[in-house]
Amino acid sequence: MALLERSEWYDYTRMTNWTPKFVSEEEVFPAMHSGMADVPLSVFDSYDEPYKISYREYVDVQRQKDAGAYSVKAALERADMYNRASPGWISAAKLHYGGVPVVEYHASLMESRFVRFAKAPGMRNMGCFGAMDENRHAQIQLAFPHEYIDKDRQFDWATQGYRTQNWGILAARNLSDDMMMTRDVVQTAIMLNFAFETGFTNLQFIGLSADAANAGDYSFAKMIQSVQSDEARHAQLGTPLLKLMMENGHEAEAQRMVDISFWRTWRLFAVLSGIPMDYYVPLEHRENSWKEFMEEWIIEQFERNLRDLGLQRPWYWDYFLEDLSEEHHGQHIGTYSWRPTLWWNPTAGVSKNEREWLEEKYPGWNDTFGKAWDVVIDNMANGRMEQTVPGTLPVICKVSNLPVVGIPFKTAKIEQITYKGENIQFGSIVDKWIFEQDPERYCRTQTIVDRFLAGKVQPADLGGALQYMGLGVVTDPADDSMGYSWVDEYRPAAAE
Amino acid sequence: MATVPLAILFEGDFVLKLLPVESEDTMDVLAEKARTVTIGVHIADQPGKAIRVRKEGNEEPYPRDMTVETAGLTPMDGVNLYFE
Ligand SMILES: [Fe+2]
Ligand SMILES: [Fe+2]
Repeated sequence: MALLERSEWYDYTRMTNWTPKFVSEEEVFPAMHSGMADVPLSVFDSYDEPYKISYREYVDVQRQKDAGAYSVKAALERADMYNRASPGWISAAKLHYGGVPVVEYHASLMESRFVRFAKAPGMRNMGCFGAMDENRHAQIQLAFPHEYIDKDRQFDWATQGYRTQNWGILAARNLSDDMMMTRDVVQTAIMLNFAFETGFTNLQFIGLSADAANAGDYSFAKMIQSVQSDEARHAQLGTPLLKLMMENGHEAEAQRMVDISFWRTWRLFAVLSGIPMDYYVPLEHRENSWKEFMEEWIIEQFERNLRDLGLQRPWYWDYFLEDLSEEHHGQHIGTYSWRPTLWWNPTAGVSKNEREWLEEKYPGWNDTFGKAWDVVIDNMANGRMEQTVPGTLPVICKVSNLPVVGIPFKTAKIEQITYKGENIQFGSIVDKWIFEQDPERYCRTQTIVDRFLAGKVQPADLGGALQYMGLGVVTDPADDSMGYSWVDEYRPAAAE
Repeated sequence: MATVPLAILFEGDFVLKLLPVESEDTMDVLAEKARTVTIGVHIADQPGKAIRVRKEGNEEPYPRDMTVETAGLTPMDGVNLYFE
């Protein structure tokens, strides 16, 4: 029997909305889960997903993707990537693996909520494939680092990290809770699928895949391409929804969701992608700077997406463009300074040649961030190692859960409000604005500093803090990925 | 006497740091405590210069002998520090 073409039956079979007779529409699609309560169910029939696929096609394509990625992994297992790759690439891979895989499980739960609560049949359908995608992303990114655990225990953070209270994990978990887990499906899809996925994940995937291939880690490159190909499909889930919002009186809500989530995502990716691109990847393999990459791959496309939908650029756009030369530099020297708290050994990336590159890409770097590095390097070159880790904690932003950083002498600034008698610090004017949009949502966040001050970290010293964050538990406190060999050119003997 | 954790930003630093001080500490004592986590860690020393403390947004620094309590600083208040 001949099969019909997909286009001949697709629209008909996925039109699964009907008028409920035994229960109310509100009971089927509760406002707190389904969102857009004032818009009748029938309006959602016009949701038109741009990417159509049948279940049979999906399974076939996904099976091929998995087979491709796992066969590259199997073929290269004896190629000893771990011992051949640069320390910088290993830093980048461990940072990624510790932070990303379990968030993919969150994303799978998120997509599953779409399957149940989205009012648009097309979105429920896409959510179903999306949930399976994200489940695969978690599994593949847990499987790949596993083979390195016997060489380097830090790869075990892929599995163990999310059970710890490490400050970096708290930041990722907070973003996931805020954007993926605790909003109705409409807001969630705008924040996650539209802003986070169409906006940013290409960064992590395209950028990191190129870096991996340059470093000779072809199994990582293949794996991340495979993940990205799913992303390219399910990320589009938010766009038709945004159209419906714009047509049905929800423009302001749509804009607010975009403004909040774009910023939160940007700040997290500045750590996750910005630091590796400008500091960990070996100089000879660096193609674009982080700023150039953002400009080429993210900003232009995101602006076009917004324009096409009739949305505005976020109100803080000029501030954001400045932040491209700022946030990741601050977070890099911060993470490096507090390196015992990390799950990956960081690469400093500030040899003399690298500093020249940084100055070329970010004019003024030497007179700002470079000044702080001068002090760090001088301590290292003269054997004052105890001076190179600060004897206190950084102040943490109540929204991003990241250290509050800025350009020395320039943009480093205190952004504080008092809410219900409590002084609260923010990493930027935008984080402060986000808090003010919904103070009750954010005021209970317990940053690592809040926990420390509340007496939850015992003993209340560096050792206690490290243990609380999983260091000395999952792995030893982290240290310089090159054993400080890069400092040699700065030592007094080298100058003679 | 009570411990008051402050959020400090020393001019030239790239990051705000947590600094626990005592309510009876003068601004000079606060400045000395701040020195241990900033000067020679991320900021070069400027020998001979006094360190002054200023509330964010204020032009004038606090008098050097004013206490944390008299200045009205409460937990997680942000203050700027700088070499005079
Ligand atoms: Fe994913
Ligand atoms: Fe995704």
